[in-house]
Amino acid sequence: MLSMVLVPSVVLAEASPSTISAQASTPQVTARLLSSHLQVVAGQTVTLGIALTIAPEWHTYWRNPGDSGTVTTIDWRFSHPAKAGDILWPVPERHRMGPIVNYGYAKQVTLPVPIVVGDLVHVGEIWRAEAVVDWLVCKEECIPQQVKLALELPVVNASASYMAQPSPLITALQQQPKPAPWPVTLQAQQAGLQLQVLAPNISPQASIWFFPEAWGRIAQSVDQTVTRTPQGFSVALKSGDLPLKAGEALTGVLVIEDKAQRVGYAIAPTLQGSVPPTAPSQPTPQARSAALHWSVAVLFAFIGGLILNLMPCVLPVLSMKALALLSHPSLDRQARLHEGMAYTVGVVLSFVLLALLLVFLKASGQHIGWGFQFQSPIFVLLMAYLLFVVGLNLSGVFVFGSSVAGVGQALTTRSGLWGSFFTGVLATVVATPCTAPFMAAALGVALTQPLPILIAIFVSLGLGLAAPYLLIAAWPGAQRYLPTPGAWMDVLKQGLAFPMYGAAAWLVWVLAQQLDALVVAKALGGLLLLGFAAWVYGISRWASLAHRWVANSLVAISVCAALVIAGSVQGFSVTASPRPLSDLRSDRAPVTANSPPAWQAYRAQTLADLRAAGKPVFLNATAAWCISCLVNEKVALNQPAVKQAMVDRGITYLKADWTQQNPEITALLTQFGRSGVPLYVFYPAGSASQPVVLPQMLTTESVLSVFLTK
Amino acid sequence: MYSSSRLGALWVGLSLWAGTQTVHAEAVIDQPAPLFTGTTADGGKLNLNSLKGKTVVLEWTNHECPFVQKHYESGNIPQLQKDAAAKQVTWVQIISSAAGKQGHVTGAEAIKLNASRGAKPAYVVLDADGSIGQSYGAQTTPHLYVIDAKGTLVYKGGIDDIATAKKEDLAKANNYVRETLSALAEGKKVPHPSTKPYGCSIKYPT
Repeated sequence: MLSMVLVPSVVLAEASPSTISAQASTPQVTARLLSSHLQVVAGQTVTLGIALTIAPEWHTYWRNPGDSGTVTTIDWRFSHPAKAGDILWPVPERHRMGPIVNYGYAKQVTLPVPIVVGDLVHVGEIWRAEAVVDWLVCKEECIPQQVKLALELPVVNASASYMAQPSPLITALQQQPKPAPWPVTLQAQQAGLQLQVLAPNISPQASIWFFPEAWGRIAQSVDQTVTRTPQGFSVALKSGDLPLKAGEALTGVLVIEDKAQRVGYAIAPTLQGSVPPTAPSQPTPQARSAALHWSVAVLFAFIGGLILNLMPCVLPVLSMKALALLSHPSLDRQARLHEGMAYTVGVVLSFVLLALLLVFLKASGQHIGWGFQFQSPIFVLLMAYLLFVVGLNLSGVFVFGSSVAGVGQALTTRSGLWGSFFTGVLATVVATPCTAPFMAAALGVALTQPLPILIAIFVSLGLGLAAPYLLIAAWPGAQRYLPTPGAWMDVLKQGLAFPMYGAAAWLVWVLAQQLDALVVAKALGGLLLLGFAAWVYGISRWASLAHRWVANSLVAISVCAALVIAGSVQGFSVTASPRPLSDLRSDRAPVTANSPPAWQAYRAQTLADLRAAGKPVFLNATAAWCISCLVNEKVALNQPAVKQAMVDRGITYLKADWTQQNPEITALLTQFGRSGVPLYVFYPAGSASQPVVLPQMLTTESVLSVFLTK
Repeated sequence: MYSSSRLGALWVGLSLWAGTQTVHAEAVIDQPAPLFTGTTADGGKLNLNSLKGKTVVLEWTNHECPFVQKHYESGNIPQLQKDAAAKQVTWVQIISSAAGKQGHVTGAEAIKLNASRGAKPAYVVLDADGSIGQSYGAQTTPHLYVIDAKGTLVYKGGIDDIATAKKEDLAKANNYVRETLSALAEGKKVPHPSTKPYGCSIKYPT
């Protein structure tokens, strides 16, 4: 419709026919009715448009307004029969306010509409168009407004029609979404969709967002995770309240924005059933600097596994196992070696299982990472139960087996191997929350690697964890350094119960963080029942058969009741609003001498805004179940010198709490090639500054040196 | 150690069981509605769980929002509330505007406002920290949720199907809340369990 040549005509804006009531204003918006042509011709298509100039901080809405708001509508009336088309929506912008995301326009926007002028117009007549325009304009608050605009154009012969001077209409037509020049496919993922765009030439710095045309297809306020692939990129979208079915198309605008320009591409890929990906994609983490070569990652995984032995949640288990070994000085070298091997197999097999589980969950599209088990309250409670029962066993409240001697002597080679095997399994399970340094990066790489390398990394991790024990078992020389068995062993065994109780207490605290006070009562009730069960079991072993039958029933009832309580936590977690989240949303801790520094909850948009404003930002990704995170906060981040440095240098402190699953934070970790917390990043001042990743073990000095030198 | 093999087996069993459980922290149709305990305008507490056995309507509101005004000034929502009360349906008005933001009211103000509008919800819940609103994913005022007697969420979305702030559109609109409540009363399937909410954004704390 703009195929006509722009005539550098003497007809100026003042002579524009859009004079009478072609403009109307409200306190927030000025609206003008514009025409592409200065005259109309019978049967011609002209473009009319509504240009809105919007007051700062206010905005109007796109065809899909997003989570709230309303679309702008235009109701046309013509003096002669004419046909108005749909609004040609320019590429929208995204406005986020708290958890609400809207799609619309700020400052100014022009909405062009193609109009077919009917044949029943005659040269010399005046053609009049009237538009009733309804919009909702919002800042925080929203005001629905309506204006009536009119425009009169003379009817002329085709040869006498001119186009208007360059106007906002031209710009609006240029800002229309373009047809996508590359193949776009859409696949289902668990709980969402994945857009795959085979556009290899997109700048890695470009920001990408998909604007859906219809409500309900995707969850609009959820951040979209963009992953670069060698062939282009993919965008992970969470399904909304009206999910797409196979065969339906996801229409919308894909907006790609880099420094130079912001371009929207109209796309409408159809959801494929269960079609395999068109090209084998190997996503690479966005932050390449944080990525490692896989062979280095395997080595790091081994070292990480070694370090895991020293973690407070592993050492007790290892000690327990060493104790078992001590109690059998009579075992020959070969038997010991077998035990060591069984333990190693237990550890490695658990890691492989964990790897496969991770692969499975990752493939199902869940954004999860290391330590994810501890985000499920029921898992946490069951772990607390388990550690508590192990503690009771160490304390001697009860023993498994028919006699006390059974612990020492009834241990056949077979049950010993099984014992070693499951100690390995147990060591792996309790090690998961302690993401040691090195390991996080290795895992970050692992999750981006093909299956064989991923498995290799996990096997290496397991070998690292098993190595010290295997060494003791295999190397007779090391035996000499082992103390002689004696009565002290019972004392040691009983002493080892306390780390177990401590770990159980810690897990109950984690539960309180995840849910609320009621769950603490439930957990303690469950532990009480288990304690009772263990005691009854323990004292009834030498009782008569009838008494033992009564005791066993009591044990069974108590254990079942404890499990029922654990089950009820599941239902309960559905209902409770996670405390850390609500704390994060509403809190800005005051700056006082002994308190943590003032921080804000991490949101991708908050970070983007701060970065855009060139403000320095310190980011702390943490979780209540991550001990090293808490230690780092205590020894470094909460220290007065660090707090003062943050205040002095105007550094905004953002905290990303991963205690519960949060896709926004998972995406952040992925961006730095990590799959677990802690993660510390300093973004120096300036919107183009390079983020600095801090080590996972912080000291006041290391934090200050980063703040002061960057 | 002999006991560890038993414990290991126990762990494997428990973790397999735990792995099959999933957590729903959101308002999902046909799932249990998120429970909450809120402070009411009269200073009391309302625990959603205590309403089990009754059909419950949750209505997010902000008296200064033009979309809300459309439905109150026209008498549309007050009428729905009266009809609900007559059918033993509990209507809960929830105000999630943060302090200092549009629509934020004290309990006394909320009660006065309802009296002046002829509105008779069974409860008014003040949610200035937005925690109830966010647990439901409430986005707009109005935004409506219907929970059946078993505590299952059966409807979420807009009050009707014409997303404007104009009173004259009410006559043409299909009121989803009315439709849902009738379907529940007749034991039928809810025709439109999830619809597009429309209105002003909820003024959550930022």
